[in-house]
Amino acid sequence: MRPIFRVAKATFHEGWRRRFLNGILIFAILIIGSSWVFTYLQPGAELKMLIDVGLGSIRFFGMLIAVFLGTRLIPDEIEKRTIYTLLSKPVTRMQFLLGKFLGGLATVISNVALMGITFYIVFAIKAPQFAVPSAEGAPQYSMEFMYANVAKAILLSFFELAVVMGIAVVASVVFSWILAAIFTFFVYFVGQMSDFFGHLADPDAGASPVARVLLGAIYRILPHFDVFDVRESILTDIPVVWPYMAQTMGVAVVYIGIVLALGYLFFNQREV
Amino acid sequence: MANIALAIRTENLTKIYDVGWGRQHVGIDNLSLEVEQGKIFGLVGPNGSGKTTTLKLLLGLIFPTSGSGEVLGQPMGSAIAKARVGYLPEGPYFYEHLNAPELLRMYGSMFGLGGEVLEKRIRELLELVDMWERRDYRVANYSRGMRQRVGVAQALINDPDLLFFDEPTSGLDPIGAKDIREVVLELRKRGKTVFLCSHLLKEMEPLCDDIAILARGQLIIQGSVEKLLARDTANYRVEAMDLDDETLAALKERSTDLMWLDDAVRALFADRQSAFDAAAMIEDRGAHLLTVGPDRRTLEEVFIEAVGEESNDETDL
Repeated sequence: MRPIFRVAKATFHEGWRRRFLNGILIFAILIIGSSWVFTYLQPGAELKMLIDVGLGSIRFFGMLIAVFLGTRLIPDEIEKRTIYTLLSKPVTRMQFLLGKFLGGLATVISNVALMGITFYIVFAIKAPQFAVPSAEGAPQYSMEFMYANVAKAILLSFFELAVVMGIAVVASVVFSWILAAIFTFFVYFVGQMSDFFGHLADPDAGASPVARVLLGAIYRILPHFDVFDVRESILTDIPVVWPYMAQTMGVAVVYIGIVLALGYLFFNQREV
Repeated sequence: MANIALAIRTENLTKIYDVGWGRQHVGIDNLSLEVEQGKIFGLVGPNGSGKTTTLKLLLGLIFPTSGSGEVLGQPMGSAIAKARVGYLPEGPYFYEHLNAPELLRMYGSMFGLGGEVLEKRIRELLELVDMWERRDYRVANYSRGMRQRVGVAQALINDPDLLFFDEPTSGLDPIGAKDIREVVLELRKRGKTVFLCSHLLKEMEPLCDDIAILARGQLIIQGSVEKLLARDTANYRVEAMDLDDETLAALKERSTDLMWLDDAVRALFADRQSAFDAAAMIEDRGAHLLTVGPDRRTLEEVFIEAVGEESNDETDL
């Protein structure tokens, strides 16, 4: 465990020293911090705008950080030759891979935590102003419910980005980092539409058998990133229940495990 | 060598790189090496001859196309072997945000070291490589020489039985190079095996017990330095410069052979006494005596003979 922790710690510190990613974080915090300004663009739907911009930014910028960090972690070690002194020690390739993943994940989580805190502050200040009572006088939204749902949405983002990070790290072991970044973006955006592919793969949708097999494979193999997006539930005042959270997070953990195991198979054969 | 403890043994080790478009490059070709424990072993050869490839194979960083090898009695790259090995890569790179103690703490913990034992070891090593006073500097601010010194320290953190040093004095100033050489000799004194890769022949000659010469991935020659440098004849050699015509004529008369080496003259003698008499004559006449002793070849001569003149431009002789 100690080698994993040491590699992860060094990766975390290195991750925070990447200026490009620091730039993305600062830009994201600026956008999230000023998300209430965007509410003026849509009078009458201020709360929706606030949540869309805030939570959407966390997911989007978090994804950018996860992809650009995850796809550079191992290639940078090889390019800068720091990997030689590490792998010549009694550190297994599995420990190294896990250390890089966990260190990168810690960086992403800390970045997202900063974005989340920023959004939570903005939300706590502005949301009550936008939660206008309905015509009958009853509050349109339960603020306690909403605060909890926003916190859960941020928690789900952590797990979503952990899956993205896992895919990015493993892709960088198989492909060059640019190709790995393109691949991870592709998986992320297609994964956002997994429901759509699921519908198309349905025999009633009218697709050809070959297309159905292909779409079905995409639906089954790629992660369903849309399940991490609970903005709709927040806005419709539907509680994001813990069984749903546990199931989603559990699937994410299993998916990461499978991805890392596959990554190990490739990395174990990789020459450095 | 059946009864001699071996630190490294390779058998027909071959590494072929796929360089794309169906082309291949032979990095190492049927390399069979035996390195005795407790010796300083030098692997020399021109750039691109396969020295670093051999090191990477032995450390399990890359995998052989065919053949096999053992390090300290374990398969190459095994965790058990790596626990007893130290490695200084060529032009070592480290995490830029760490300082030397942090770096050594990280590497030490990978061997299960910690607490007071590790802290004591860190101090000892940083003092050994003359980095204790500069221990708070971040790696990002290191000169090449400082990186090399810390590289040596990290290679020694686990008190290894076998050390792999790849071009250890490359880029160092003369004092730095001398310090590294002293560390290598001290390690041998402590019974460690040191495997040196270098193309700096003049540095390897006085340092190594055994040497192997590689060229284009093939082992050209291997043996003890003593045997490789010895000539077939039992001649003695005197080298001198600034000789006047009279001294030169006298030297020519006494010697069995005489040749010019740029500004210097080399004279060969059939026995020890004649050589030392000639040396005394040279000094008496005010000329500049360079060397007197057995007519050993230099590693440079052995190398050129083994590899051929065409490799000279790639090797810093």
